[in-house]
Amino acid sequence: MATITATPGLGTRSAEGAAIRAADLLRWSLDHKVIGLQYMASSLFFFIVGGTMAMLIRWELLTPALDLMADGTQYNALMTIHGSVMIFLWIIPMMAGFGNYLVPLMLGAKDMAFPWLNAFAFWLIPPAGLLMIAGWLVGPPEAGWTAYPPLSTLFSPDGQTMWAMSLHLLGVSSILGAINFVVTIRNMRPEGMTLWKMPLFVWAVLATAIIQVLATPFLTGGLTLLILDRTAGTSFFDPGSGGDVLLWQNVFWFYSHPAVYIMILPGFGMVSEVLAVHARKPVFGYRAIGLSSMSIALVGFTVWAHHMFTSLQPALRIPFMITSMIIAVPTGIKIFSWLGTIWGGKIRFTAAMLFALGFITLFVFGGIGGIFLAAVPIDIHLHDTYFVVGHFHFVLFGGSVFLIFSGIYHWFPKMTGRRMNERLGQLHFVTTYIGTFFTFVPQHIAGALGLPRRVAMYDPQFTNINTVISLAAFLLGISSLIFMYNILRSLNHGERVGGNPWRALTLEWATTSPPPPWNFRGDPVPFDDPYGYGSDESGAYLDAVDRRFPAPEESAGA
Amino acid sequence: MSQESLTPAELLQQRNRRTGMTIFQISWILVFVCLVIVNWQLRGNHPSWPPPGVSSPSALLPGLVTLGLLASAWLARAATRDLAAGRRAAFRRQWRAALGLGALFVLVMAYEWLSIPTSGIYSDVFRMMTAFHLLHALAIGLFMSMIARGADAGRVSAQNLWPAEGATSLWYFVVVAWLLFFPVLYLI
Repeated sequence: MATITATPGLGTRSAEGAAIRAADLLRWSLDHKVIGLQYMASSLFFFIVGGTMAMLIRWELLTPALDLMADGTQYNALMTIHGSVMIFLWIIPMMAGFGNYLVPLMLGAKDMAFPWLNAFAFWLIPPAGLLMIAGWLVGPPEAGWTAYPPLSTLFSPDGQTMWAMSLHLLGVSSILGAINFVVTIRNMRPEGMTLWKMPLFVWAVLATAIIQVLATPFLTGGLTLLILDRTAGTSFFDPGSGGDVLLWQNVFWFYSHPAVYIMILPGFGMVSEVLAVHARKPVFGYRAIGLSSMSIALVGFTVWAHHMFTSLQPALRIPFMITSMIIAVPTGIKIFSWLGTIWGGKIRFTAAMLFALGFITLFVFGGIGGIFLAAVPIDIHLHDTYFVVGHFHFVLFGGSVFLIFSGIYHWFPKMTGRRMNERLGQLHFVTTYIGTFFTFVPQHIAGALGLPRRVAMYDPQFTNINTVISLAAFLLGISSLIFMYNILRSLNHGERVGGNPWRALTLEWATTSPPPPWNFRGDPVPFDDPYGYGSDESGAYLDAVDRRFPAPEESAGA
Repeated sequence: MSQESLTPAELLQQRNRRTGMTIFQISWILVFVCLVIVNWQLRGNHPSWPPPGVSSPSALLPGLVTLGLLASAWLARAATRDLAAGRRAAFRRQWRAALGLGALFVLVMAYEWLSIPTSGIYSDVFRMMTAFHLLHALAIGLFMSMIARGADAGRVSAQNLWPAEGATSLWYFVVVAWLLFFPVLYLI
């Protein structure tokens, strides 16, 4: 079967057979694998930055009075940059990293459609991160990651302008990356790989890219107005001069609610891959999962105003409540499909699988919290409380971050040629699961009892519950250190693997680990059903892959 | 260059570029749609628009250069077809005419931008939208003038058509974006 090939671009590529080195990550490269790892490495750096800020926030909240911070303004700055870094510089770019590394491999292509554009999209991220964090030098942004005016226009120093410029860069990066994904997936599939034979991760990346292409321009528009209000004396968000504060809320959430799906949909694709491989079973409801990704992408554009129930015209609340409830349906379809996939499977409790299973339990809990918040009467009571904080951290940490961890354990052997330490992985899972549960469940309870969000000082009645939350958050910090240690240790000392250590059927495994500069030597032959585990044909195919890409020990003996 | 003479890799590259340009156009035009929505939401907060005491600008001159902008898109398209067919002189003539009409549009709209009285939110919205569009027209117009020089030097030709084809697509984008803005700014 022929492989469709992108025209090779100029730029550095690792030598044949050589693994990508740390120094390669600091260079301009057109190789999608290097770019994917650049996204991932920079995201992990920002995860540490944002995570450290989270630790400081939880330290401050151990007692009702100010401890670490000189005043509430410092706290505002800390939680603003924590949220912005975690969303825009950790989760979204990390998902882009997985997409960049895996999509061409899964399609049997030699690279993305536009390698230069791919590199350019990545290299917008470091200056954007620098701009965001350097805001501290001129007076940090203090308006929260949502940057509602007038907080972001009248009451936040110049770092808020840098924050907006940073998001501008990240938005452009996101759009360029998404264009590349759509074109690659549309035009560069191998012969015989119809849409209905694509790996589910590719489906999820396609749905995500469609959201990015259609939603991010609205963030660009909103940020342009915000920057003009802050620097050019305009008054788009100033009601006193004929502007409108709700204008920002509408435009911002028209992007930022779909952005929630930008943060989770690629993970949904990853978990579909991980569950099938580690349960040794075909995906249950392949088409339902693929189509539900598209449904989420579509319906995701109709729910933005549920973030504004308290400021929205009352007549619009019910329609947005209904659409917000509807979006739970395609998500529920996925959950049932995943349960159907593992049902009766020969489950291997690897670290990747543990995080995938942990994700399902936590995401169901977080999703139910979302149903609460989608209901107008409950949302009005819970608005601006810790219930909201608990909900979105549950779906972002228990959802996106668990899936990122699962994906890293699963594809680390492909990317490096070495397996991560399973025992450390299991310890990482247990500590992360307990830490997540006891950090974010009590936040729901505290919110329901009336603890407001975004405050450094609180009523002493919430001291005990905040202590529990902070201690559990510190456990999460420790668990993340275990994870980082495992990565660093495994890079040099992990068990060496062959091309297909998990015996998976998708195409990225039908090449060496790590893959050669142009991904495949010769034309890869995709198995007819990427999830056809358990059949004699799939067994024969996997045996052939094992013989062609054996583990190093085997090849030495051969 | 005919499609038949392209290698499979070149055909794929051409297909990728065209698809990528289309997706970019769909995506970026939504920024302009966003600004139209901004205009609507802001004017919806006022009983009359322009607000009392503010006179709306005449649509006559902008209307005329809008027709010129449409003609420039047609000329750019014809020029690209001529270049593809190897008619370099016809390309140069029509491409420069398109550039001239584009430059006229930019000059007139810059005059409009400067002449509208500063009057609070109305002029804020007007200036923001026209400036945003002007920046795009200027940037893409400059790119088109680079293409003209490239064609003179033989770097852009029937064998290397994409720069002209891509620039024409971007100029269509400028025209469509303005067709979104013009009625909102001058007619409604």
